[in-house]
Amino acid sequence: MNIHEYQAKRILSGNGIKIPKGKIAYTADEARRAAKAVTARGPWMLKAQIQSGARGSGRFLEAKAGSRSGIRMVSSLRDLGTEAEAMLGSTLVTRQTGPRGKQVSRLYVEAYTKVGFTFYAGMAIDRVQAAVTLLLANTRDDDINTIAESAPGQILRLPIDLVTGPTHAQTGRAAEFLKLQPRSYDSFYAFLRGLFKTFMANDALMIEINPAGVMKNGDIIALDAKISLDDKALFRHPEHERLKDDDETPPRELKAAKYGFTYHEFGGSIGCIVNGEGLAMAMTDMVRDSGSGVACWLNVKGGVDRDKVAAGIKIIVTNPRVEGIVINILGGFVRCDLIADGIIDAAAEVGMNIPLVVRFEGTNRDEAESILQRAGLPLVMAHNTDDAVNKILQAVREGE
Amino acid sequence: MSVLAGKNTKVLVQGMTGTQASFHVRRSLDYGTDIVAGVTPGKGGTTHLGLPVFNTVKEAVAATDATASLIFVPARSVKSAVAEAAGAGLELVVCISDKIPVRDMLEVRNILKNGKTRLIGPNTPGLITPGEARLGIFPENIHTPGQVGVVSRSSTLTYEAVLETRRAGLGQSTVIGLGDDLVIGMNFVDVLSEFMNDDNTKAVVMIGQMGGNFEELCAEWYAASPVKKPVVCFVAGNSQAFSATVGYAGDIITRGRITAEDKKKKLAAAGIIVVEQVNRIHEELQKLRL
Repeated sequence: MNIHEYQAKRILSGNGIKIPKGKIAYTADEARRAAKAVTARGPWMLKAQIQSGARGSGRFLEAKAGSRSGIRMVSSLRDLGTEAEAMLGSTLVTRQTGPRGKQVSRLYVEAYTKVGFTFYAGMAIDRVQAAVTLLLANTRDDDINTIAESAPGQILRLPIDLVTGPTHAQTGRAAEFLKLQPRSYDSFYAFLRGLFKTFMANDALMIEINPAGVMKNGDIIALDAKISLDDKALFRHPEHERLKDDDETPPRELKAAKYGFTYHEFGGSIGCIVNGEGLAMAMTDMVRDSGSGVACWLNVKGGVDRDKVAAGIKIIVTNPRVEGIVINILGGFVRCDLIADGIIDAAAEVGMNIPLVVRFEGTNRDEAESILQRAGLPLVMAHNTDDAVNKILQAVREGE
Repeated sequence: MSVLAGKNTKVLVQGMTGTQASFHVRRSLDYGTDIVAGVTPGKGGTTHLGLPVFNTVKEAVAATDATASLIFVPARSVKSAVAEAAGAGLELVVCISDKIPVRDMLEVRNILKNGKTRLIGPNTPGLITPGEARLGIFPENIHTPGQVGVVSRSSTLTYEAVLETRRAGLGQSTVIGLGDDLVIGMNFVDVLSEFMNDDNTKAVVMIGQMGGNFEELCAEWYAASPVKKPVVCFVAGNSQAFSATVGYAGDIITRGRITAEDKKKKLAAAGIIVVEQVNRIHEELQKLRL
């Protein structure tokens, strides 16, 4: 689960990290009031709160929003109101949002903070080492994604001990790497400690401060902030529940999540219902290699409730892109008969007038197959994954 | 012969009394697995599925000499369950439970760092040595004893890999699901080195996946390994779209961008037989003439 910049900054600030003074606004009026409350004199920063990086190089779709990006500096209250009016309700497209962009419904109004040097600071999990890792890079010449892909050696990676957190020795090394002045040291140490504290106390999966800046007095300040939280740890963070912004998740994905399933959309025409992400990926690869494409996949892994399975299947059946559905279940924990029941329930409710190919293997396969035979649905049975993919592609082509 | 667990492995089950656990433990018992006890705090002294239940792992070990644990406890109890199993000196822990917070797994790995306890999982179908022992939730009817070791990050593709060995007319020595949570216990290198040292295993099927750099490390290890049994490998997740939609953003920056394509190149360069589709595995196995 991702949260907005202003929410992330609030959490970071609570853990001792310096942030610019700021306030959230949902209307142009609120933006003007927020600006006055933040600082009597400008300039201010107006920042579109959508969950995407690269907002500063993004563009709005609507002409009324003007040609400036999703992050705007304004020097007068009058301009601030005009710009806020233009941005709110408009659609911001960045290289991370996809061409449809995201609608901006809130703005973060910040006091403009003058900084000298800026850098990237991140904290993420190194999966192989099972270590929380501090990541630092000098982003003067390139942005962090370019560095990560073309010059990964220019990122400093320091594994952080879970018990001690970032140490003085590590801070010294990191400060030297970034060529920070000695007067920044104490603030930099507090900054790194704050990052780690935020990471652990909130069950974060990733924190990115891009950029962090060095102020005139040497203090380190977080100018932007991004935090991803671990959904699996939500049970111990009831306070995170209200940070969720449902507008950020595509509606079908959101619906699937309510039933405990994962759902992803792609560009093609085949709908896949599988148990397990690996299987979903293998099938997507196979469909693509056959010259077609997957429209979406629904992963019903862990599903043990007939109603939920039916509800999940309906999500795919009602996706207009889908021209054929392939169900491929290799049941261990998931029982094939339960999936069969779910297919019948879903078909009874919304109809099934596109080709359907089903392959069952594993727990209760025979029961599942006879349930489907008895129901008399117009479906084709397959005996393994490539057979299932071939049969659905053939059925869709014949239907054209 | 088998790796990590076989017919002589005495197994206790942490969290045996739940519905799903009971269903699968009963099937494992029917399969012949030497499950000797259950551990459920507060239910010590009772019996379940005909097995004695203890309050603690230590008590269960003292009474039964169990050396392995199978974990079905709820996600929020996994950390303490693994710590308890490690504290009692168990050699192997197989954790079936899923939805475990990543922070808990970081702490679990920290606890296991210097000990002898080895962890498979979490969020895995577990381990099965066909005809001997089932520590997990595998559909047992697809397995037959044989000479191919199977190791996979993806749960469902584990079954697919097993079916491929069957299509090649072969059986399995031991089948191990590593799980694909962000942080897991044993990885490819750990399991492959077991297979290389197991006389009964003549070849290995390995199923990798985009994300993390487990496969790269495995390629490096295999290239340097003195014992080189044939390994047939499939890596899921070629489509570029995946890393953005289902991947872990932190991967790119902690290790550099690693696509399934990169992984396959490195594995092939190390001498591992890489197939483009999961359903081509049986063809490569047949060519080995085991």
